Amino acid sequence: MADTNRTGELMQGTLDMLILKTLTRGAMHGYAIAEFIQQSTENVLRVEEGALYPALHRLELRGWLDSAWGLSENKRRAKFYRLTPAGERQLADEKAHWGRMTGAIARIMETV
Amino acid sequence: MFKGWIRAAQLRMKALAKRRQLERDLEDELQFHLAMSEEKLRGDESRALARAAARRKFGNATLLKEVCRDMWTFHSMEKLLQDLRYGARMLRKSPSFTAIAVLTLALGIGANTAIFSVVNAVLLKPLPYPDANRLVMMFLQAPALPLARGDMGDADFLALAEQQHSFERVAAYKASDNGFTLTGDGEPEEIPGGQVTAHFFDVLGIRPMMGRTFSPGEDRAGRALTVVVSNQFWREHLRRDPQAIGQSITLDEQSFTVIGVMPATFHFGERGADELWPIRQTEAPHQRWPYFLTVFGRLKPGVPLTMAIADATRIAQSVTRQYPVSGVAGATAVPMKQVVIGDSFTPLLILLGAVATVLLIAIVNVANLQVSRAATRRKEMAIRTALGAGRLRLVRQLLTESVLLGGTGGALGLALAYGCVKAIVVLGFDLLPRVDEVSVDWHVLLFAAAVTLLSSILFGLAPATRTRAAKLDESLKETGRGGGEGAGSRLLHDALVVVEFSLASVLLIAAGLLLGSLVKLEAVSPGFQPEHILTMRVDLPPVHYRKASQTTSFYRQLLEKTESIPGVQSAAVAMSLPPNLLEVENPFHVEGQPYTPGKSVTLAEEIPISEDYFRTLGVPLIAGRFFADEDRAEGHNSLVINQAMAERYFGGNAVGKRVQTGDADPKSAWETIVGVVGNVKYEGLGEKDQPTMYVPYYRDGWAPWFVYSMYVVVKTPAEAGSVAAAVRSVVGSIDASVPLTKVQTMDELLSQSVNAPRLGAVLLSSFAALALLLGAIGIYGVMSYAVTQRTHEIGVRIALGAQQRDVLRLVLGSGAKLALIGSAIGAGVSLAFTRFLSSLLFGVSPTDLLTFAGVTLLLMAVALVACYLPTRRAMRIDPIAALRHE
Repeated sequence: MADTNRTGELMQGTLDMLILKTLTRGAMHGYAIAEFIQQSTENVLRVEEGALYPALHRLELRGWLDSAWGLSENKRRAKFYRLTPAGERQLADEKAHWGRMTGAIARIMETV
Repeated sequence: MFKGWIRAAQLRMKALAKRRQLERDLEDELQFHLAMSEEKLRGDESRALARAAARRKFGNATLLKEVCRDMWTFHSMEKLLQDLRYGARMLRKSPSFTAIAVLTLALGIGANTAIFSVVNAVLLKPLPYPDANRLVMMFLQAPALPLARGDMGDADFLALAEQQHSFERVAAYKASDNGFTLTGDGEPEEIPGGQVTAHFFDVLGIRPMMGRTFSPGEDRAGRALTVVVSNQFWREHLRRDPQAIGQSITLDEQSFTVIGVMPATFHFGERGADELWPIRQTEAPHQRWPYFLTVFGRLKPGVPLTMAIADATRIAQSVTRQYPVSGVAGATAVPMKQVVIGDSFTPLLILLGAVATVLLIAIVNVANLQVSRAATRRKEMAIRTALGAGRLRLVRQLLTESVLLGGTGGALGLALAYGCVKAIVVLGFDLLPRVDEVSVDWHVLLFAAAVTLLSSILFGLAPATRTRAAKLDESLKETGRGGGEGAGSRLLHDALVVVEFSLASVLLIAAGLLLGSLVKLEAVSPGFQPEHILTMRVDLPPVHYRKASQTTSFYRQLLEKTESIPGVQSAAVAMSLPPNLLEVENPFHVEGQPYTPGKSVTLAEEIPISEDYFRTLGVPLIAGRFFADEDRAEGHNSLVINQAMAERYFGGNAVGKRVQTGDADPKSAWETIVGVVGNVKYEGLGEKDQPTMYVPYYRDGWAPWFVYSMYVVVKTPAEAGSVAAAVRSVVGSIDASVPLTKVQTMDELLSQSVNAPRLGAVLLSSFAALALLLGAIGIYGVMSYAVTQRTHEIGVRIALGAQQRDVLRLVLGSGAKLALIGSAIGAGVSLAFTRFLSSLLFGVSPTDLLTFAGVTLLLMAVALVACYLPTRRAMRIDPIAALRHE
């Protein structure tokens, strides 16, 4: 259903995790989430809009995000996303999984 | 996981309900994003450039929106809705096709649903008692009489109750022909009901709504008289009194204590009309007859019917050893439901077959129309294929359209069936068992839904299979020339028309045979002059008429006063009435014949009458004389017999001969035949003439016990109904407690006696007419379509010099050929099947040549008429225009 080509350099699961992690800072709209990821990785990770919004809606449907319409910093109507308790649990799971994965990958990279 | 899925479904439901909201939200969210990036980029670029850059960076916004939207929707369901909307649009676009198809299906499904609701109530549903399949009825058998299912007498019932091992309990019911006369509550009134033994309600397994039912032993002689009443009786005659239990009511001049009220759902007796069930108290019998008990029992769990039969037979034989003159050979047991259904099984099955045939024709018709439409829609299908629709998607679309069509037809049909069921209940009230149980219940709804779905799939498959033939490039290249439709499709059309005509032919032949029978039946002479005769029934309360002289005095006064009413020519009373109200058959023994008690009994209808009976009805005297005053003298045992009896037992010369009547007994009195009269039908117009004996109603042995209920017949010179009120006041003036009921003219009685065959013939004829109409529509549709398809070819033929009559022959010929093949197949099938009708036929052979030939001619005529319009269109084809049609 979703166009997988458009996830660009980021794997789908990774993007989901980054969105969840970003939202631990509080409610944000889609644009801010993209900006935050891009800036905090010093432009290493660029989030494509074509991947971001499908991901946001998917996470909302799974119950990990909640959404509400509010006013943005420049007084525009924007849709804000917030982490739900289920989303926090999911983030913890993914974090642990991510840790195991990177650790494993790192060990391979170092031993060879 | 599961919880998450539910949440998602909830969100989607919300989104589905707020479709526009979702659309706007998506738009707003993405617009906001665009605006934000535009602002950020504006630093170094102009406004327009910034927007373009932002958009470029953003990518395909429409696709993004679509992806997000899809996430929020039920994908397959929305596709279905889309298909439905599209289908509805397509159906609206061809309203005449849609109207014909929907109507056709509505008629087919409606007729099936209506007949099924009757079959369901009469044949399929269990009787309305708990564990009804364990209820079994028992009958005496006497092959010599012949008697296959005879009622039992008190001796048989008591022996059965004592000696049986197969039943939990047994009970007996004595139907009361005229019900019980209720007095003390305004005018005397006849309330239907029957006497029952103590375990009657226990065997049926129904508890009372109020009070109690009978307790064991309450049916012994000498105990208090008690009665259980129906809910209706409680409402209408006991004023819904919650204290009704313990009250007394007077039935047939005897006081009964009400001990129980049954629930409104409980029905028993003929057509479930019983309202009173007084206790039947049985004394130890000293003879076996009379036989008027309906005996039934509830089988012990797990006991097979065969054991019950063996039980009943053994007990009946032991009773026969006690009463050897009775001639009873044994007994049998039959499931109660089978008895109740009676002989309605065959007619109902035939009707169900008929409506199924109508539905088949309807389906074939719609399939035919669909195939024609599929051909004209080939381009549409080809374009949709080119735009990326898969074959499965197209088939799904076509099936969705079919189900939509079928569903509409089915809904309309259900409404139709609902009306029909009401009509059937009214028309069939006196003819069908369990007619009070007929209704559109969930079984019927389920049946209608299943029939609808099945039909939709059947007629939807025909065009769906044709999508395979729609080769993309060929169809797009096609320029609309007639040759576009292949030979395969034309063959399919032709085959469907042939099927329609053969099915219609079968139905028409069956209907023709039944109609022929009805005409023959109504033409039968009843043996008397039925014009201007009024018939009524009087019921004397036995408690007031204990002596023969009392009944005789009542009837003599009644007849004298009635004959003095102005406008009355003559009046008489009789126990039985033509054409089908026979009450009694009696064994008789001709003087001089060898006498063997209990063996080879000869039976004759025996009818107590008053002197003027033959004159009133106009029955001709063949020999001897009618009854006269001299027959009243002591010791004058006169008898009048009919011609059939005179010929069969006396070689035509009966006057002066003597017979004994009643159970075989060498000591009984001899009766002398004084006259022979013409044959009169008493067992239905369709029956052969039976031997009949007439006896004066005041004769010993008949009066008073057997003449409490008598028919009164009055002959008037003009309209018979005009004297009814006068006769009623005559009865009231003699004895106000005597009810006068069943006031009808003889013409009405005659007409009612053929109600059952008439209903069958009318129903089957309607279905056959429907089939014929559908067949005509079918052949018309196919021929018009063929003419349209062959416009070019016909144009070429005309251009090459074909005359009008050649075109006529071409079109009419092909239509007639299909009709003829169909009729021939139908006639062949009918030859094999009409013998199942033979039990319903009268005076017509199941292979009646006239009917078969007539139906074939009718079908041909209808086919030619249906082909007339397309033929005329073909003959008027302008060759120039047709060739330019390219």
